[in-house]
Amino acid sequence: MKSWVFYGLSNRLTERFKKKDGKVKGLSPVFRNSLHIFPIDVGNDNELNFEIEALQSAQYNIHRFGIFFTDSPRHADILLILGRCTEKMVSPLKETINQLPSPYGIVVIEGSQPFGIKPKELDLDNVLAYYEQYLSADEVLSVLLNIMEVK
Amino acid sequence: MRLLGVFKEDNREFFLLQDEGKFFKSDAQNLKDEFSNYDLIKNRDVSIGSEPVEGEGVFNFRYGPVTAGVKEAGVFNIYTYGERILSVNIDPSYKKRDIERLILKKNIDEGLKFAESVCGNFSVSHSLAFCRALENCAKLDLPEDAVRLRVVALELERLYNHTTVFLKLARGASQNVLTSHLSFVFEELLRINRDFGLSRFLKGVVVPGGVRVNESANFEDLSKRLLSLKDKFEELYEHALKSYNFIDRIHNTAPLDRELALKIGVTGPTLRACGVKEDLRIKEKGYEKLSVVVEEDGDSLARMEVRVKEFLNSTDVIVDNMAKVKSLDKLKGVDLKDLNGEGIGYSESPSGLLVYYVKLNRGILENVYISTPSVFGFKAFSEAFRGFIFTDFSFAFDSFGVHFSDCAR
Repeated sequence: MKSWVFYGLSNRLTERFKKKDGKVKGLSPVFRNSLHIFPIDVGNDNELNFEIEALQSAQYNIHRFGIFFTDSPRHADILLILGRCTEKMVSPLKETINQLPSPYGIVVIEGSQPFGIKPKELDLDNVLAYYEQYLSADEVLSVLLNIMEVK
Repeated sequence: MRLLGVFKEDNREFFLLQDEGKFFKSDAQNLKDEFSNYDLIKNRDVSIGSEPVEGEGVFNFRYGPVTAGVKEAGVFNIYTYGERILSVNIDPSYKKRDIERLILKKNIDEGLKFAESVCGNFSVSHSLAFCRALENCAKLDLPEDAVRLRVVALELERLYNHTTVFLKLARGASQNVLTSHLSFVFEELLRINRDFGLSRFLKGVVVPGGVRVNESANFEDLSKRLLSLKDKFEELYEHALKSYNFIDRIHNTAPLDRELALKIGVTGPTLRACGVKEDLRIKEKGYEKLSVVVEEDGDSLARMEVRVKEFLNSTDVIVDNMAKVKSLDKLKGVDLKDLNGEGIGYSESPSGLLVYYVKLNRGILENVYISTPSVFGFKAFSEAFRGFIFTDFSFAFDSFGVHFSDCAR
């Protein structure tokens, strides 16, 4: 059996990625080569949380595009809101937005669940993209790449 | 006998009980003192875990609902004096969506959508338990091919859920190569799900009286892809067991005693990791290749080992059932729009027993109670994690495979 290092090197897992174009607002040309994301679950059924986990898989290798997930909203350029909001998550969501450094952008993916408070009812600023449906990992990656490309 | 739920109907309190493979509701009077998990179930939407602790230097370290360490919206109240964890109390209310109330007065199709939306990564388990409850009420028998395809869907769900548990434990121990390869397996499994059921989380596959799968799916090709992933997964597991850095972190971490596990009402891999050989799938059709995996230690390592071995076994179950499916015709379900009465349905979800009680009047849902494995899993975590240090949090918590969305319906 190969050691971890050789096992890792002997398997090429990253795939070529063909981005789908879509309408989004841009943030700033500063973020053309690097974008830091903080995802927040506001009450989704875990499907979107799992898609964000899948987005970090070896096939997508998002770091090659300069996309990184951060552990704190204070280090993030984009807040990725996942799901429709439960009543108790409205206040933590607003506080998280307060913690974002300027300039920041918000991307909302509501998902497929038929209940909960729609984030658009919360009157959020700087929303770059808003999706009322569920997005898979490759679709989320396309959205992020589109945001980075806007001039 | 196991207490799974407590609910009200006609202003009376009822218990949802399990006796081996039988599920039934019973009047709660005179039974309250028989089950020590009664308070846990009654308070499951407010607080789960141990009582707060006070003392010199003891403070409440509130972890969540917005933190990178807990991906879901939930709060852990961790009582500590800085090092050792004295008590853990979990607040699931941030994720509470009130589904059992919202589902009332809905028809069966709408109800199924709500059931699938309780926990997306257990959507097959929830829809299966919901549909079985309806089918039991209607006294409906399913065609053999539908049963086999349901087994395939449930086991596909088990595969990717077990992979995430293994992946999270590897990530917690900074096993970057292992994490990366497991993430590859995880994404491949979601793609197999999409090719089998047209949804990456197999939503819409289980319907009352049948199944809806991708009619152009090539089962032979899917089986080959699964067997190739099985080989890779087995190889990764062998690699992982040789990494002392990894094993040291999960061996003897958050051990759960067999007696305590039974007292709490834990089921699934967590209970099997404590040495209890209990798995209701063994008596079901379509599980001829199933072997129930049991470990003795009850710690994070044992829970991981059970899940890894179940992954390997589930692959064989899926391949066996895919080969035995004869036709996809006439499996698309039965119209139950005028259904009256009540029924109980269960499924062995990736994290344990999931049970639905439903009561209908002319196809409209009048009462629904959902018993989820995560409620008991959270309690087990809070008990097992006591006495450890915060650095062990991810190894302890992730090994239980529990979710706030499953717990706070």
